[in-house]
Amino acid sequence: MEKKKPKVAFFSLTSDEGCQFILLDLGEKFFNFLKEVELIDFSLIEEMPFPKGKVKIDVAFVEGLPIKKEEIKLLKKIRKESKILVAMGNCASLGGIPEMKNYQGKERTIRYIYKKLNVENPEIKEIDNFVKVDFYIPGCPIDGEEFLKFAKELIQGKIPEIPQKPVCSECEHQGKETCFLRKKEPCLGPITLAGCGAICPKNYQLCYGCRGILKNINPKGFLETLKKFKNPKEIEDNLEIFGIKDDIEEKLK
Amino acid sequence: MHFEVNHSFEKSKKITIPHIHKIEGEAGFWAKVMRTGEIEDLKIQTLLGLRQIEGILVGRRYFEVPIVVSRICGICPVPHILCSVTAIENALKIKVSEQTALLRKLILAANIIHSHTLHLFFLSLPDFFDIENDLDLLKKFSKESKSALRVRDLALEITRVIGGRAVHPITPIVGGFTKIPEKEKLKKILEKIPQAIEDANLLIETFKKIEYPEFERENLFASIFNGKDYPYYIEKFVKIGEEKFTFSDFYSVQIEENLKLFPVKRVKFKGGPYMVGAIARIKNNEKFLTKNSKEKLNQFLKEKKLGKEQYFKNTFHNLFSQAIEVLQFLEICQELLKEILKLSLKEEKPEINPSRYTFGRTSGLSAIEAPRGTLFHYFEIDKEGRISKCNIITPTAQFLSNIEEDLKLLLPKILKSKKREQIRKIRSLIRVYDPCISCATH
Repeated sequence: MEKKKPKVAFFSLTSDEGCQFILLDLGEKFFNFLKEVELIDFSLIEEMPFPKGKVKIDVAFVEGLPIKKEEIKLLKKIRKESKILVAMGNCASLGGIPEMKNYQGKERTIRYIYKKLNVENPEIKEIDNFVKVDFYIPGCPIDGEEFLKFAKELIQGKIPEIPQKPVCSECEHQGKETCFLRKKEPCLGPITLAGCGAICPKNYQLCYGCRGILKNINPKGFLETLKKFKNPKEIEDNLEIFGIKDDIEEKLK
Repeated sequence: MHFEVNHSFEKSKKITIPHIHKIEGEAGFWAKVMRTGEIEDLKIQTLLGLRQIEGILVGRRYFEVPIVVSRICGICPVPHILCSVTAIENALKIKVSEQTALLRKLILAANIIHSHTLHLFFLSLPDFFDIENDLDLLKKFSKESKSALRVRDLALEITRVIGGRAVHPITPIVGGFTKIPEKEKLKKILEKIPQAIEDANLLIETFKKIEYPEFERENLFASIFNGKDYPYYIEKFVKIGEEKFTFSDFYSVQIEENLKLFPVKRVKFKGGPYMVGAIARIKNNEKFLTKNSKEKLNQFLKEKKLGKEQYFKNTFHNLFSQAIEVLQFLEICQELLKEILKLSLKEEKPEINPSRYTFGRTSGLSAIEAPRGTLFHYFEIDKEGRISKCNIITPTAQFLSNIEEDLKLLLPKILKSKKREQIRKIRSLIRVYDPCISCATH
């Protein structure tokens, strides 16, 4: 008798859907993964509606964050129907680019677009403010190979462990003249969770911490060092891009 | 597919599709149609929240812009990045090297190929064979799907080699590229292009065999224009219908954004709808198609016994136009690669935030062709190099009204069809536009 396949679903709240495209970009590898599971929902590749009634999902992957009330309702239903709920990517896990609005004062931000309209304009909150999240896949966007590795464990009911190592540990510039920090550029590699292969520094771009802050560190000393060669406002700006400023503030409390 | 048809009104009925799958972003369809065929109300509603990207950018440093706008859309980050950096370069009067311009053209052409193949094969084709799940499509069209995936993989490889990553490329910044691709890798890509062209031809054959629904409506087509070649990367003019405007005149005078219909700023030209995207580009620049692309288009017209006018009146042909463009842009990539390989590529390493730029109150606009049509980015920059004003007009915001006009024509014709058939037709018409709701609702 064929073993029952685990039920998997992908959901998209407000986002650019970039993480879902990472999955499709895996091509054959992703379609092979789908052969091992029963697909309950993935609106980019099938027509089946997410049922109003009861469904049982083993692993639900959620991209994006809720801005509309309907999205909060959907998120809560997903939680209710799922054994494991996974936040997929930076927006769902850390608030991402949309969270910059919180730092600016949301009433200010909307005025630059719609002056007169009454637009749904909530404070941006990561999905774990609404429901319990069992696992976070880091990155903006996520890394496809890393997703497959995590997903294989998740469909067996296991919660993966991500080694708490900094981006620098994977960086080809570490200890070299070409290291951004040596050149007094505020790269966030030392406090950011590795796993991306230091892809930004590899392409001569600073790390802006899209994978989130390491759990086992206190970033205070590092930030003090940065302030020696960059003005505090610039550093703050860098922390705001991928929604990690609030996490840092939490750690510094 | 989830749909509801409500018969509670005697004289009218509601047709709703709460969530249209297989488009980029989340949207639904809602209409109220009288029994007489008159349409009381019809709209496409986006289900995404507003992220307020333009508002977010105000106050941010100019060099953050490409990082932020890239996240407007996971499928077309490249045009957003390139439109923003070229607009900022216009504002700061920065000239880029020939090498930079060629590499930008290459990565943009690759993005159009990648987006079109995804849309053609995985989002739209199943509509014409009543296939509800792409995994079934992969089985039924095994040879064709291998071809489509191969073309897409090559486009993604180009994006990765130049941009450092396929989704949200890293290297393109204001002033150039942080890193220059290795020639060896570019050579390998060039070697793979003939196979991709063969695959594109198969894709064209597949889309030639489709029975396109009969449909006629006069469209007004807009795209950037130069009168010399097939334009897609920054040009001075926009052609709409038979008129030509400079892109700044078109953006600031000729089109109007409706700010009352939250959350998408719908754009109209002289009060009416217009069309952008593959079919519009081909209409406006047909004579600049490559020999092969032109031949394929003419073969299609001949076999379908269609006049050119009829071809362009039927929006469903946007699909075939995309298939033609896959070939067109593959051939463009081939030429670009040859040209780039002739250069002695050198690292320019533009600084991420150079001190040599002088800021004063200044503004810049840019227009480029994204897969779905013309994209505009406008920025004002203050004395500190921070953004003080920003506006982004996406292709989908421009053609949303055009879809609705098409649907108004389609609906009365399908009132007597079965519910399932109605929904299938509505969503397939919406999908041939390849709407990107993430872009539209940024």
